[in-house]
Amino acid sequence: MSKSLLGKFLFVLMLASMLLIAACNSDEGSDTPDDGGEDNTEDTTDDGSDDGSEDDGESSDDKKEEDTDGLYSIEDFSTSTSNDGELIDGGEITYGLVSDTAFEGTLNWNFYSGNPDAMVIQWFDESLLTYDENYTITSDGAAEYEVNEEESSITFTIRDNVNWHDGEPVTAEDWKFAYEVISHPDYQGPRGSTVGFTLLEGMQDYRDGNADTISGIVVEDEKTITFNYERLTPSLLTGGIWGYPLAKHIFGDMAVADMASSDAVRQNPIGFGPYKVDSITPGESVTYVKNEDYWRGEPNLDKVTLKVISSSTVANALETGEVDLVDSFPVDQFPDNSNMEGIEWLGDIDLAYTYIGFKLGDWNKEESRVNYKPDEMKMGDVELRRAMWYAVDNNAVGEKFYNGLRWAGTTLIAPSHPAYHDDSIEVPTYDPEKAKQILDDAGYKDTDGDGFRETPDGEPLEINFAAMSGGDVAEPLAQYYLQQWQAVGLNVGLLDGRLLEFNTFYDRVGNGGNDDPAVDVYMGAWGVGYDVDPSGLYGPTAMFNFPRYESEENTELLEKGLSDEAFDTEYRQQVYSDWQKLMVEEIPVFPTLYRSVLIPVNERIANYDISVGSGVYLYELGVTSQD
Amino acid sequence: MWKFTVRRLLITTPQIILLSAIVFILAKMMPGDALTGLIDPTLSQERIAEMREKLGLNNPWYIQYRDWLAGVVQGDFGQSFKYQMPVTELIWQRVINTFWLSLVSTIMIYAIGLPLGIVSGRYNDRLIDQLITGYTYLGFATPVFIFGLVALWIFGFMLGWFPTGGSVEPGLEPGTFEYILSKLHHLLLPSLSIALIGTVGTVQYLRSEIIDTKQRDFIITARAKGAPERRVYNRHIFRNSILPIAAFFGYEIINLINGSIFIEQIFSYPGMGNLFIESIMLRDYSVVTALVLLSGILAILGALLSDIILSVVDPRIRIK
Repeated sequence: MSKSLLGKFLFVLMLASMLLIAACNSDEGSDTPDDGGEDNTEDTTDDGSDDGSEDDGESSDDKKEEDTDGLYSIEDFSTSTSNDGELIDGGEITYGLVSDTAFEGTLNWNFYSGNPDAMVIQWFDESLLTYDENYTITSDGAAEYEVNEEESSITFTIRDNVNWHDGEPVTAEDWKFAYEVISHPDYQGPRGSTVGFTLLEGMQDYRDGNADTISGIVVEDEKTITFNYERLTPSLLTGGIWGYPLAKHIFGDMAVADMASSDAVRQNPIGFGPYKVDSITPGESVTYVKNEDYWRGEPNLDKVTLKVISSSTVANALETGEVDLVDSFPVDQFPDNSNMEGIEWLGDIDLAYTYIGFKLGDWNKEESRVNYKPDEMKMGDVELRRAMWYAVDNNAVGEKFYNGLRWAGTTLIAPSHPAYHDDSIEVPTYDPEKAKQILDDAGYKDTDGDGFRETPDGEPLEINFAAMSGGDVAEPLAQYYLQQWQAVGLNVGLLDGRLLEFNTFYDRVGNGGNDDPAVDVYMGAWGVGYDVDPSGLYGPTAMFNFPRYESEENTELLEKGLSDEAFDTEYRQQVYSDWQKLMVEEIPVFPTLYRSVLIPVNERIANYDISVGSGVYLYELGVTSQD
Repeated sequence: MWKFTVRRLLITTPQIILLSAIVFILAKMMPGDALTGLIDPTLSQERIAEMREKLGLNNPWYIQYRDWLAGVVQGDFGQSFKYQMPVTELIWQRVINTFWLSLVSTIMIYAIGLPLGIVSGRYNDRLIDQLITGYTYLGFATPVFIFGLVALWIFGFMLGWFPTGGSVEPGLEPGTFEYILSKLHHLLLPSLSIALIGTVGTVQYLRSEIIDTKQRDFIITARAKGAPERRVYNRHIFRNSILPIAAFFGYEIINLINGSIFIEQIFSYPGMGNLFIESIMLRDYSVVTALVLLSGILAILGALLSDIILSVVDPRIRIK
């Protein structure tokens, strides 16, 4: 008898403690990692060399905010720290690299591939070039430049006091060496196809092995270098030029194939940035000490410690002061932590957008170009595409799923490029009645009474929507779009009835050229680089032109944007404004959401700015109290 | 006994060869390859095609398999595409971390599990047993990643007793006393999280086995002979009850290498579990195949070891 009583008591106790654990769990629930797929697609926008790369980024936000108080706007955030207290001498900070995976440890700009590595490198090495807020190179960096339009060349002069950490000067030879290594047949890294390489004179000969050096690169003297191009394009000045020299006195004797795995990259990396690497614990942490001879001046901090920190614990680490600064913060955790004590939130508009694309053709492998054939494709009718844009409420998506930290996109050049984003263009906004009207007018009517519209020819219209998995929000988001389209009478279903894993998704959408004919509509995202030129994503020969859209006007505008005349900013703005308009008329894809980045910073940190072209550099970063 | 061991080893060889083929084919069947993730417009298609050719990804699978196998036999697992370094070196870097984590947690599992199991079995249905059983049920019900997070939050962040991530304090000189101490300090919380949850199976096995053995005839005989209770438990019951645990031990060593994905992620601990998931996501084949092969071989060796241990503890197996 007493035994069974005790048993019951224990049972109750167990239940109670389980509830306790469950409670802790729900408390912690919003901290669970969600960006699992983010790392493999992370773009490398920081080096300014790429003009776009994939970003699956469906960060989750499952917060159900009932009231509007839970909404935020990116306009309320500043990009720089507000701390104007007096800096203390000899400060130390800890920098959190938020990643659920370890960093690879390829610690050289010329060889790295993952974003985590870039975050490690930025402390000890930098580009010779700096950029302004429109991502155009300036002469404020370690090298000054001069464009010679007649000879289609650009001459750079590296400042005299720019030296490697071991005291050797950074020379024109080092810069040339970087180009030679990257273009070498044995080079394994993912670089060397920007205009800065491809337009160089003599590049083809060098690549084919017919020349020992690249004839277009002329070393004038120790610190002066001239790049001769076949022609000039504005893309050269907006991220096309590779600005990272490679220390020839260290790598000069190595075989190209061995460089990336050498000690000079892995164990004792070298640069000319504000801090020097002191020690590396592979995959988890790096300590830096200040480089007193840094060319801009002595850095304010004595020591920086970088450590990898899991996205599930980053909020706690910030709160306890374990890290002062992080490279990124999961946006979905922001609402829970917006009032965190001792933390200042910085925010900026992300160089990215989410979009919905329509398949309008497939890939012609022989000619390596898109095969635009709207007449054969289900989505070939622009009125149908327009109606689908009208049918969705992207602002509601941004508010419900992302607390307003993402918002309805308008054109295909995001406001992260303020000089080129044209906000005067009128684009379809949520209006289901209008959507129905457009469909009716275009002849899409329900003729067999099943509740869904048929094509103008009376054929049943079944549309397959491909969406990517990743993050808690991916599924409800996809369902939302399906519902909205079904509400205007379109029979849209999820491809295969489920979300697709990242690799499978892009495989079927067309990466590799084997477009799956079953895909009609898909939802993807692009991280865009410094260069505003969208031809890598929408040009007729671009593999990543997944909609397989092509038109004369589009091609012409894209070419104009890269022409000599486009050196004139106003002209270029006009061209891209026209292009944005064209895309709104033709709708091969339509942007759904623009995004924001939020970075939490400990309040003791001063002189820090997350935007490009702010004129605030890492060596100025300091602290105003010991901890 | 050596005859038995040799025979077991002979069976193992074809197992491993078959395993390597399966592992390789399965890895190749994953959609996409290391280059499909490079969705980056600055990369021209020609460049990607060139890289693919260079990596031998265009060859038919049997040629790729042959090349791979030739390397593996010489201990060369190829080059990791993502890390740009030899797979062997990469795994070595990680395996050390995982090894220490698993070793400490395995020791903890037995250090916690054996006494609890013995006490629980010996005093079954008493209060102490019910408390222990209650704990094991809780342990079964709690996913390790939640337990790890809660432990980290309480002991790491709130109380600040343990470091909250990494395997060692940044900036310490490897090999120094402080370095080793710091490593150990970093190991304690994650391995305790693993052990407290992982040990419940051991406790339950041991408990039921002891209860079972307690009622056997030979125990009654031993008692009738007048053997003291301590001797009955330590010699007769314990030795017989430990069999399933011993059988299990061989498999435990697989975990020594495989690591715990969740714990490693929560504690930002650079180990094998993390590496495995990462390389699957990125289709870093050479790493994936090496890891699967490695753990497959270990599983086979683990089974072998279990058999051998059993044959030592339980002579009946040897006779068969």
